[in-house]
Amino acid sequence: MVFDLDRKNDLSVLRIEGELDALSVVDLRPVIAKIGEDKPPKVLIDLSHLRLIDSSGVGAIVSMYKTVKAYQGDFAVVGAHDQPLAIFQLLRLDRVLLRDMA
Amino acid sequence: MIEYTRANGCNVVSLEVPGRLEYRDIVLRTVSASCKLVLPKSRGRRSRNSEFTIHIVSAVGEAYNNIVIHGYAGRQPESIRLRIESCQEWMRVIVMDTGTSFDPTQARPPDMDALPESGLGIYIMRSFVDEVSYVPGSHGSPNILTLFKSLDGSHKRGISLNAPFERKTG
Repeated sequence: MVFDLDRKNDLSVLRIEGELDALSVVDLRPVIAKIGEDKPPKVLIDLSHLRLIDSSGVGAIVSMYKTVKAYQGDFAVVGAHDQPLAIFQLLRLDRVLLRDMA
Repeated sequence: MIEYTRANGCNVVSLEVPGRLEYRDIVLRTVSASCKLVLPKSRGRRSRNSEFTIHIVSAVGEAYNNIVIHGYAGRQPESIRLRIESCQEWMRVIVMDTGTSFDPTQARPPDMDALPESGLGIYIMRSFVDEVSYVPGSHGSPNILTLFKSLDGSHKRGISLNAPFERKTG
């Protein structure tokens, strides 16, 4: 997994590439903590280049969502396709995460 | 270790890896590649074929996670063996480990309205294949998890684990 967190004004964009799974998700924990500390008003998760996600990865995304919502920020996931999109749809998270950007 | 044979008209790939997360990708790539052996006669149905592979790979990935994270928790991990049977129109993946057995009757569907951050793996596994069966190991025999999926879902007879498991839809 490769990720990049970029902040411009009110918007933080987190791009995650490759596989977000039980092995790589630990690398994302500090990012979630940083978002919770910085409290950017808008957080966008770009999964355009994410090839595979598992339940651990989904847990991390949901954790980020809850973190942002806790300080009443806006949160959205964009670019999910193929396997990651299938997982989000199965878990009915597409309704919550894919259309929440203000 | 990886071996290939043919049995009863099926392609059979046997794979054994250390029970650690670092080897998950090798397993999933092998499963994904094996899916192509099920699909060649279904050219022109790209969407359905892609879905078949996505579902099998996701299910096996969650099964693998459960063994490494829970079955081998707190102990020296031993190996995980897989037998991947790719036949015409269906695939069966048998996963064997010597970790702590899990009781499938403890598995409950997650409450998705509560946006759970954990407890999703078994739900994903069971939702994405036609049949799941589990035999706990005893007296030195391994735990045996079997995942079955047909290309057109015609073999779907519901979940065959011991526990009642209502799949949420909608």
